[in-house]
Amino acid sequence: MRRAFLGEFEEIVLLVVAACPSEAYGVTIWEDVQQQTGRSITMSAVHATLYRLEEKGFLSSVMGGATAERGGRRKRFFTLTNAGVRALQDIQEVRARLWQAIPPGKFQLT
Amino acid sequence: MKAAPPRWADRLLELFLEPHLLEDVQGDLYEVFSRRVGEVEPGRARREYALAALNYLSPFFLRRKPKYELQASQPLLSLTMLRNYLKIAFRTLAHNKAYSIINVVGLSIGLGAAMLILLYTKDEVSYDRFHRNTDQIYRIVLRTYTAAGVPEGQGGNTGAVQGPKFKAGVPDIRSFVRYREHRNDLKLGNEIVSQSVFYADTSFFNLFSFPLIHGNPVTALQKPQSVVLSEEMAAKAFGTTDALGKILFLKDSYNSESPFKPYTVTAVARKAPQNSSIKFDIVMPYYDKEGNNDETDWFSTFQNTFVLLRPGSDLRAVEARMNRVYQADAREQMKMVAEKYGLTQKRVYALQPLTDMHLNPDLPADNGLVDNSNPMFSYILSGIALFILLIACINFVNLTIARSLKRAKEIGVRKVVGGGRSQLILQFLGESYLLSFGAFALALVLVQLVLPTFNQVSNKALALSYLFDFRLVTAYLSLFFLTGLLAGFYPALVLSGFNPVETLYSRFRFSGKNYLQKSLVVLQFSLASFLIIATLTVTSQFNYLTSKDLGYDDRNLITVVKSNLTRPEAKLLREQLVNNPAIAGMAAKNQGRWGTVAKINGETQIEFTYETVDEAYLPMLKIPILKGRNFSPDFPSDSSQSVIVNESFVKKAGWKNPIGQQVNFWYNNNEKYRIIGVVKDYHFLPLNEEIRPQLFTMRPGNSFGMAYIKIKPGTETASLNHIEAVYKKLFPINPYAYKFKDEDNRQSYEAVEKWRQIMLFGAVLTIFISAIGLFGLATLSAERRFKEIGIRKVLGASVSSIVRLLSSDFLKLVGGSFVLAFPVAWYALNRWLENFPYRIDQSAWTFLGAAGIALLIALFTVSFQAVRAAVSNPVKSLKAE
Repeated sequence: MRRAFLGEFEEIVLLVVAACPSEAYGVTIWEDVQQQTGRSITMSAVHATLYRLEEKGFLSSVMGGATAERGGRRKRFFTLTNAGVRALQDIQEVRARLWQAIPPGKFQLT
Repeated sequence: MKAAPPRWADRLLELFLEPHLLEDVQGDLYEVFSRRVGEVEPGRARREYALAALNYLSPFFLRRKPKYELQASQPLLSLTMLRNYLKIAFRTLAHNKAYSIINVVGLSIGLGAAMLILLYTKDEVSYDRFHRNTDQIYRIVLRTYTAAGVPEGQGGNTGAVQGPKFKAGVPDIRSFVRYREHRNDLKLGNEIVSQSVFYADTSFFNLFSFPLIHGNPVTALQKPQSVVLSEEMAAKAFGTTDALGKILFLKDSYNSESPFKPYTVTAVARKAPQNSSIKFDIVMPYYDKEGNNDETDWFSTFQNTFVLLRPGSDLRAVEARMNRVYQADAREQMKMVAEKYGLTQKRVYALQPLTDMHLNPDLPADNGLVDNSNPMFSYILSGIALFILLIACINFVNLTIARSLKRAKEIGVRKVVGGGRSQLILQFLGESYLLSFGAFALALVLVQLVLPTFNQVSNKALALSYLFDFRLVTAYLSLFFLTGLLAGFYPALVLSGFNPVETLYSRFRFSGKNYLQKSLVVLQFSLASFLIIATLTVTSQFNYLTSKDLGYDDRNLITVVKSNLTRPEAKLLREQLVNNPAIAGMAAKNQGRWGTVAKINGETQIEFTYETVDEAYLPMLKIPILKGRNFSPDFPSDSSQSVIVNESFVKKAGWKNPIGQQVNFWYNNNEKYRIIGVVKDYHFLPLNEEIRPQLFTMRPGNSFGMAYIKIKPGTETASLNHIEAVYKKLFPINPYAYKFKDEDNRQSYEAVEKWRQIMLFGAVLTIFISAIGLFGLATLSAERRFKEIGIRKVLGASVSSIVRLLSSDFLKLVGGSFVLAFPVAWYALNRWLENFPYRIDQSAWTFLGAAGIALLIALFTVSFQAVRAAVSNPVKSLKAE
């Protein structure tokens, strides 16, 4: 399977992980996603997506960085895998092609 | 106080979330919560936390498997599976009949042997425990020390004085019984038989718990001339056990003057239990025996004395008190004995528990007490039983593992459809228990069948009903469980560990070089060849003992006992006997073993065996005279002045020139004798004793007790008829019994014969079980290499080369077992042979012979299968897929 199918929400989460300046883990990703989309999203939805992306091979994770406020529990830091990068690039390309293909004049607010 | 998220929500998460996700999810939730606590009121933060946590209860995050495995929904033992296990077990057993039979038969023989031995040992250790007061009953024993305090010896016998004196002087001794064996002649209708009888104190039936069928235990032995019979004796004498008040005529066998006296039956006792050291047919009051009234002599010992202690007495204190009584009472006598006989030894009395007698070789149950036994027999028998059981278990393990290749597929399928390892272990253990159960049942049948023979060999009267004893049943059950576990656990562990992928793709190889199976076979055959060597050695020692030249001629020699055979009687007997041409001669001799001391070389004391004979004795037995001459009627003074001694006597005395030396019987009015002859040493004692100094006399004061009669070869019937007729005519009131001397001699080696039988029995069984195990392994190995053999044959291998190929593996193992067995056998048998002063040397031939036997049996077993595999048509094996 050359190209993985990515849902809309999955794409956003993947992009957020990619865009995150520091190390990305559950809480930061959740907050960024809400901020970027302006939607109220449950944390479980973000976690489920992250794990699914990891299963699909677009993300990889390492455990680390336990703090007292987490009750001594470690964070799961997510990073993009090569597959993840390629998937985002593919999507970007498809979209760019489609944007280019729009005939002039068709794309106007009425 | 710092706010914390609601615990129930946490619990929920911990219970339901996939374990590997739990940590970071919960950590993230905590992190958000702790931030929110700073922003909003804690109650709200908690609500938010709970809500967020509940969101995780979606299928995505849930555990795929319940936390505690499958157990909740599928118990380890469900009825359906159980039914399946049973069905499969029976099918595999039925499909592999040879295998099943080998396992069941091998195991049942092993179990049967173990059961028999358990019965035997239980009986051995249960001796004398049936008495009500068993724990309080002791036997008075005597230990002697040299003047310097070095232990010299010990003995279980006492005299007449100890019982009454100790009872009087030691308050903790409640009562005592003196128990003395004797022989009486007994009138049974017109016949006179010589019967062993016992004289015992009145308290006999109080102290010991021998139940009486008729009569009162307290008064039975009170009146003189009363007698207690066993039920068997009563039936023999009167035809009924209800013999109370009937009259029995008895007479002292050893005293020709004593007349037959009437005795009234005062009680009839039940037969003494088979595990009793005291077994009697006739018991009479102690004082009815002449010579039992002297209760002063501390220094002669001739009977057993038992005492009953008060419960809770301190044994050491009682013994100390007994010795104080002895020291006080015997002071005069000690002085007298020291002066007269030069006795310097110290004597100390002690108590031996009644239950200790049976298995104590140092203080055995003797002098009227019976059945004393050597604990060695129990140990060796238990060891052999353990060997046999072990070998049977090894068969089981080996065969199950070897055969498991065929079941690898079944195991694979079971695993693929979800069978856990524990279930497989359970299944295979269950199968092994099923087999053990079958073997156990068969073993019970076997024991029942073999018991009569075993009883004969072991001199016991055991019965399977002995089993109904809580401890023995427990022992048997644990034997069963242990066997099942021993035989089944390892195979179960190995089989359940198979990798299903490998087995199902038929890529499965039996892992490794199978060292376990090999070493188990080596162990089996080591045990078997050890026992073969033992059997061979014991047998040749036995043959040596029974065929060794004794130094005299015991062929065609008959002995007849006649107590107090006087000189004229002997002369008359001889004259009447030699009338018959079948009788070659007769010599008279004292009965039993007499030993005494005399002084030689002035003051040196010498101990020797003291034989009273007549002139005919030495020539008739063909005992060579080395120096000097035999007694002769030409020298009338021989009987009062001359003695003959043997070589050992001369050697002990250190004489260069023995003829004419003087032997001084100083305690007999200083009687002095001159040595007139020296005979060659001959084995007058059984061969397990060394030849000791021996002295022959014709002293008129010593009475003869038996006649040696030499008959001509081949005239046994005629001679015996004549001897009996003459004896009955001359001595109508003496019991007549004859023995052939050579048979009598052979009987001395009963113990050796017993060892031989035990070893033979062990060796045959171990070899048999090992062989059937090897047979099973060979069968399976031939099956496994079916194709290989086919290919080899197609490529031109001969039958013999294939047989060699298949057998050599096993023969190598059997050969290897000798390395283990030989040194152990050599050492153990050397130790055993050291018990005999006259013994064979261990020869290499015995070992080679044992090796030959073991190899031959193994070869025979293995080649049977190997030949079958080798001659089979290769087309068949190669076509089959």
